[in-house]
Amino acid sequence: MLVLSRKINQSIMIGDDVRIVIVAVDRDQVKLGIEAPRAVPVHRSEVYEEIRRANQEALGAAPATSGKAEKATLRPRK
Amino acid sequence: MEEQQITVELPRFGSCSYTPSEVIEFPWGLPGFATLRHWLPLNLDSHPTFVWLQSLDDPEVALPAVDPWMVFENYDPKLPAYAFTSLEIREAGDFATLCVVVVTPNAAEMTVNLMAPVLINLRTRKARQIMLDGSTYSAREPLPRKSGAEASASSKSA
Repeated sequence: MLVLSRKINQSIMIGDDVRIVIVAVDRDQVKLGIEAPRAVPVHRSEVYEEIRRANQEALGAAPATSGKAEKATLRPRK
Repeated sequence: MEEQQITVELPRFGSCSYTPSEVIEFPWGLPGFATLRHWLPLNLDSHPTFVWLQSLDDPEVALPAVDPWMVFENYDPKLPAYAFTSLEIREAGDFATLCVVVVTPNAAEMTVNLMAPVLINLRTRKARQIMLDGSTYSAREPLPRKSGAEASASSKSA
């Protein structure tokens, strides 16, 4: 892992279009500002991790099924 | 237009034929299944409420999902801009929404992932699981108990 030291108001560029700014530091908490294109999702890692676990659990716990499966028709919300 | 029929053998559903235009592509994968990009939405006659997202890259993987509004009428996700931009969604009629279902052991309870709905662009068949960071929706929202036949049927069989 690359480790960089930054001061408040300094920033890091990731690629050409993602900028992370150190906004504030207070004891063990750091406030980051993130500028990224609208097509780039930005989440806290815990959220991603929670969704990853929920998806894998959905697979593990999927109920037994029987019968013939048809292709599902997907529709927009009515 | 004659489209090529492809037949696969699925551990859960048996033999299944589909055409390339029926496949849903997840260009970014799904959390937990990052490498599985091609999925087929399936229905079982016996459980019409569920849509099964069947992976075509790993036939062992099939995730049950529901149309969230069928179970949570007031569901109102505030979708982030990246959802619309990355999937090229312009209006409400462009996309379908599915939420993955987690069944707790012994099918005692079903929960629905309202925090990360799956959006499917119906025109391009591209899809993405969208994370509602900062929302109050749970990744494991219990399915409301049905008061009628379904509840009594399951208690009798228990």
